[in-house]
Amino acid sequence: METFISDGLSFALPLFVIAIGGIYSERSGITNLALEGMLGMGAFVGALAVVLLTNGAFAGEFYLAMLFACLGGALFAVIHAVLCINFRANQVISGVVINILATALAAFLAKLINASVFGQNSNKFQLSTAPTLGTIIPGISGVPVLGKMYVFVPIILVVALIAWFILYKTRFGMHLRACGDNPHAVDAAGGNVARTRFIAVLASGALSGIGGICFAYYIAANFSPSIFMGYGYLSIAALIFGNWRVMPTLAACLLFGFARSGGYAVAKLLALPSTFSNLIMTLPYIVTLLLLVFFSKTNRAPRALGEIYDKGKR
Amino acid sequence: MKKKSGSGFRRAVLAVFGDERRQSITIPVFAVVLSLLASAVMLLALGKDPINAFLGMLRGCGIVPKANYAAKTGMLTDFMSFLNVLAPMIFAALAVAVASKTGLFNIGISGQMLFAGFIATVVVGYSDLPAAAALPLVIIIGVTAGALVGGIIGFLKYRFNINEVVSSIMLNYIIQYVVSFFINMYYVDPVSRQSMYISNASRLTITGVEIFGMKADLPLAMLLVPPAIIFAKVLFDRTKIGYEMKSVGLSRNAARYAGMSVGKNMVLSMLVSGALAGLAGVAYYLGYFNSIQPGVLTSVGFDSIAVSILGNYNPVGIFFSSFLITIVSKGSTYMSSSAAIPQEIASIITGLILVVSACTFFIRTKLARMKEREIESRKAAEAATPDEPVPAAEDSKGGER
Repeated sequence: METFISDGLSFALPLFVIAIGGIYSERSGITNLALEGMLGMGAFVGALAVVLLTNGAFAGEFYLAMLFACLGGALFAVIHAVLCINFRANQVISGVVINILATALAAFLAKLINASVFGQNSNKFQLSTAPTLGTIIPGISGVPVLGKMYVFVPIILVVALIAWFILYKTRFGMHLRACGDNPHAVDAAGGNVARTRFIAVLASGALSGIGGICFAYYIAANFSPSIFMGYGYLSIAALIFGNWRVMPTLAACLLFGFARSGGYAVAKLLALPSTFSNLIMTLPYIVTLLLLVFFSKTNRAPRALGEIYDKGKR
Repeated sequence: MKKKSGSGFRRAVLAVFGDERRQSITIPVFAVVLSLLASAVMLLALGKDPINAFLGMLRGCGIVPKANYAAKTGMLTDFMSFLNVLAPMIFAALAVAVASKTGLFNIGISGQMLFAGFIATVVVGYSDLPAAAALPLVIIIGVTAGALVGGIIGFLKYRFNINEVVSSIMLNYIIQYVVSFFINMYYVDPVSRQSMYISNASRLTITGVEIFGMKADLPLAMLLVPPAIIFAKVLFDRTKIGYEMKSVGLSRNAARYAGMSVGKNMVLSMLVSGALAGLAGVAYYLGYFNSIQPGVLTSVGFDSIAVSILGNYNPVGIFFSSFLITIVSKGSTYMSSSAAIPQEIASIITGLILVVSACTFFIRTKLARMKEREIESRKAAEAATPDEPVPAAEDSKGGER
């Protein structure tokens, strides 16, 4: 039961922070299928910073990785922003193109850096395991779920709270949401649509980077090109299911997380051979499809989503 | 491209790219050249010789001779092997194009390929049917299985308004894991850790044929390439169904207003797209290979997106862009072993080509604006020196858009 909850949360929350990134971008009117690439490149930069700057004994390793993943994700998101906003590319194509490029770049650079800096023939960056709450606050290490909870779970909750506040309670957030529904109104009111959208896409990259490095730590405790597991797409499904709103998206992510950990728990209970893990891996995807079947119809996407903003259009 | 460039530069650019009718060729060529240049710079930065790297790719595909060959092999061996990968690539890219013309983005090609390949392997590959019965059956099963998956995606889009990108990605993963489960449970070859080899009679490749003293694998799937290209071309240029699909792709509302069924056309287009992907799947798993590696989706499905965008979704254009991208992806194996360059550079080149291709619209509008400015400045020059004759051809801007 305990692993069921902590595994579920450890999977759901990175997904959630990536989905918030998606919400930022899509609420500003930019379709963002590039989340997958951004989370991977964010994780790549974070892990790279760790292997280059520390020697495996640095206590703050995880936070350093998170910081750099955040920066790396934002930096990589610039490509999507420039392609979609400045170069007016098709946003769906741009997103997919960026994912393909990210997969290629991460694999290539990881191999190259391993070979040239460490003299190893590998495409992995070894990380330590993510710290748990119990190791940081000595008093609670015995508490059931909390003690073994990874530090990133509360961190992501705080980040999510801030992101929620900015999106719904500040002037910038209002502009951002207006850009996705009626960019001409924003323009008429003196706002800058292109700049707001640019910032929104960068924010989505930064948030995806955070999610990506959490996945890298949680799932494998290393970075390898197998980080591209479709979790970016999974978080897109979550945000569509959550109707482009933060709180319902959290619910969707939790559902995915518990569907996955529940599957593993059942497999363990029935003592199934390890080949069955392949079938369990399909659970989040099947749940996604089923949920989309039931909820896509009533969904309200931002009205200007995916449209190239054209000032002269009436 | 800087805004304040001299008119000499502008004239040079317009001389090459100015003709709108040729832009569907010149811009992709520009994309390719630019990405090759960028990767050449990258290779130089790594201290590798880019020319040697590109030659290595061509050598690996049997287009340029290698320095030495093993006994009984030769350029023809490599070239036939190249054609064997080229065929699935062309089918897959046609599949992307059919969906894209209808405004749908079929990113699930890899999954559809795997599903078709797996079903055909299990049903025909492990049977002892003679070739005359097995080969047509492989194709029919592949096409049907692919169409089924494509149709599901189209149906989900039409009936439940599910974004086809998300649903096809989900199906990709589901198919990947489920197929890998079945292979590991029932069909695994304990030595290769792949699925057991299929019977030779059901393989779309005739292996080890000796031509001019060189052993080569004849790719039968190549025979289906011309019909597939003609089919796609005729579908969109000559038939009512194709016309309706294109209309739906250009404007759903306009198509609906004209009385066309948007949903029906979307499902139909995904059926056709899936069928082509299924063909690609059997050509790949029961042609180029004769077994399936569990847990992996082929990169052909993703490269085919690049091929299709680069070929402007045009069946004939796709033939040429398939050639190019396949040289890069297939040739990279030999290049990497002969020149010690990481093979991943191939996907980077493909990725860069894609990025530039994604900007096609931007490049077009930039060129149109450049042209306007050129005409204006010519008019101004003409006003200053009135006795110079007017260059009439440049004045008409017909045919744009």
